[in-house]
Amino acid sequence: MSEPIKVLIVDDHPVWRDGVHADLEAAGHSVVGEAADGREAIALARDAMPEVVLMDLQLPHVSGVEATRRIVEESPHVKVLVLSASAEEKDVLEAVKAGAAGYLLKSSTSEELVDAVVRVRDGEPVFTPSLAGLVLDEFRRIAKQNTGEPELTARENEVLKYVAKGYTYREIGEKLFISTKTVQNHVQNILTKLQLRKRYELMRYALQRGLDQAPE
Amino acid sequence: MQTDELKAGMSAPERSRRTLIRGVLVFRWVWLGWMSIVAFMDVGDFRRPGLAWASIGLAGAWTAWVTVSSRRWDQATLWGDLAVCAWLIAVSGLVVFEGEVVHRPFFATGYPLTAALSWGVRRGPRGGLAAGAALGLVLVLTRPLNGVPLGNLPAREIRDLVSGIINYLVAGGAVGFVSMLLVRSAQALQDATAALVRERERAARLAERESLAREIHDSVLQVLALIHKKGRALARRGDAPSAEVAGLAELAQQQEVELRSLILRDPERVPEGTTSLRGDLEALARKVDDVDVSVSCVGPLWVDRRVGDELVAAVRQALANVVEHAQATRATVFAEEDEGRLLVSVRDDGVGFVYDEEALRADGKAGMLKSMKGRVEDLGGTMQVTSATGKGTEIELAIPVASTTEPGGR
Repeated sequence: MSEPIKVLIVDDHPVWRDGVHADLEAAGHSVVGEAADGREAIALARDAMPEVVLMDLQLPHVSGVEATRRIVEESPHVKVLVLSASAEEKDVLEAVKAGAAGYLLKSSTSEELVDAVVRVRDGEPVFTPSLAGLVLDEFRRIAKQNTGEPELTARENEVLKYVAKGYTYREIGEKLFISTKTVQNHVQNILTKLQLRKRYELMRYALQRGLDQAPE
Repeated sequence: MQTDELKAGMSAPERSRRTLIRGVLVFRWVWLGWMSIVAFMDVGDFRRPGLAWASIGLAGAWTAWVTVSSRRWDQATLWGDLAVCAWLIAVSGLVVFEGEVVHRPFFATGYPLTAALSWGVRRGPRGGLAAGAALGLVLVLTRPLNGVPLGNLPAREIRDLVSGIINYLVAGGAVGFVSMLLVRSAQALQDATAALVRERERAARLAERESLAREIHDSVLQVLALIHKKGRALARRGDAPSAEVAGLAELAQQQEVELRSLILRDPERVPEGTTSLRGDLEALARKVDDVDVSVSCVGPLWVDRRVGDELVAAVRQALANVVEHAQATRATVFAEEDEGRLLVSVRDDGVGFVYDEEALRADGKAGMLKSMKGRVEDLGGTMQVTSATGKGTEIELAIPVASTTEPGGR
């Protein structure tokens, strides 16, 4: 283990927090804080200076999606890794649109969790095949609506489909004769487009409501 | 309509009909009173006063009976009413002196109208018109009964007769029409209310499921996920009886996955005769124990039930193959619909193999793949296997589809 990663754990369930805490420390990382709700998470993300935030989605007071949005806004260098017990599509997709850098199911193993934390810190978008399927679906709908919002390039589409099929970035790179890093960049661009789309949505909403200022 | 009412008990249309019938009842009493007063005043002009009073008595008794009887206006009541009213009209020709009916129609004018009204209420415009016509016919008969031959009626008297008939017809027809409109709008209102209630119930059910989901998420799912994770880690460490701990972890995982699938996806409106390929594949993946299977689909993918069943069967075989031969840790099932083709791929991270049908057949390993291929080809599709030693295996099935339907919402 090269360098310990500073992690903030956000979950309303203490048993779960303890478990994850132990896993991370066993892997040599340091847990700089634990938050039980979204409000606390936003404050701790500011004060405890974590590099990675492990974010649950169903939280009291402020939802995980909202907390993710605020944390990414206030501290863009902090990576939010969503760790959800649910495959609730809407929430997961919303969290990614809000700026989450990755998504993992809570049923993943300890190794996968620790691995994902490292990858997210290193700027690698952590995707599950099923999330890739959701994102593909989302972009297909955008393409059908033809609203001029950012769509996927043919290559991005190809990459995303391989992710959905369960290929790792390295394997995709080998298949497409591009570097693993390039594959990661494509995935990162896909995420950025999703987040951009969220902004379009908000802007359209604002315009419809006759507000003269688009929200942040 | 009659059977509908019986089925629904006291339906809204039935209630509106009853209200109208009660209105007609008021008319009955008014006409009965007026009939009695006129008879009392003109009693000296009757050639058959006994018959007149007996008839008024009959009408009174009938009116009283339909007022107090809680019986609904069925076929028998309607015919009874028509008979009483027809009798009153006929009697109007009998009680006055010969030739007088033209000037003193007495019982014919008021009370008998109520039969046309009642028929209109219960049987709609046609019933009202039919009853009106029947009463009109009896009115015509009052002339001969009064000793006035129909053959040589003067124009004025014909005109009076016709206007009397028209009265009956219009009363029955108009009330029938109103009743029909009322019944229809009552029915429409009832349907709309029922739809609203159903929608509300659905919303309430969804809200309940959501709160249930939150509840389960908070307590059960979390703990199950933890047991499942920790159990596996303990089993790997080996200082606990690992088989038992691993079994425990499996158990927790199964419950966790089952609970999650139970509560977390919106119930989707299923188009007739179709099935959600995503739902079916997810259900299949939950049943595979030895390899971690994740399912990733682009949309719910509504497909013809038969096509769905065949594809799921093919994927089941592919996964069985993975478990048996691939030494894989995980497999991903991917499905999408793209430009009229349904693509389903099963990908594993196992040892891979050289896909050579000839060699496989020689080894006796071709059976399962061949059977999968057969299934797919029966659906007019193709199967492609991509594999290399050490690089996992991808089996891709492609079948043509008309178009998977997307019902309203997701």
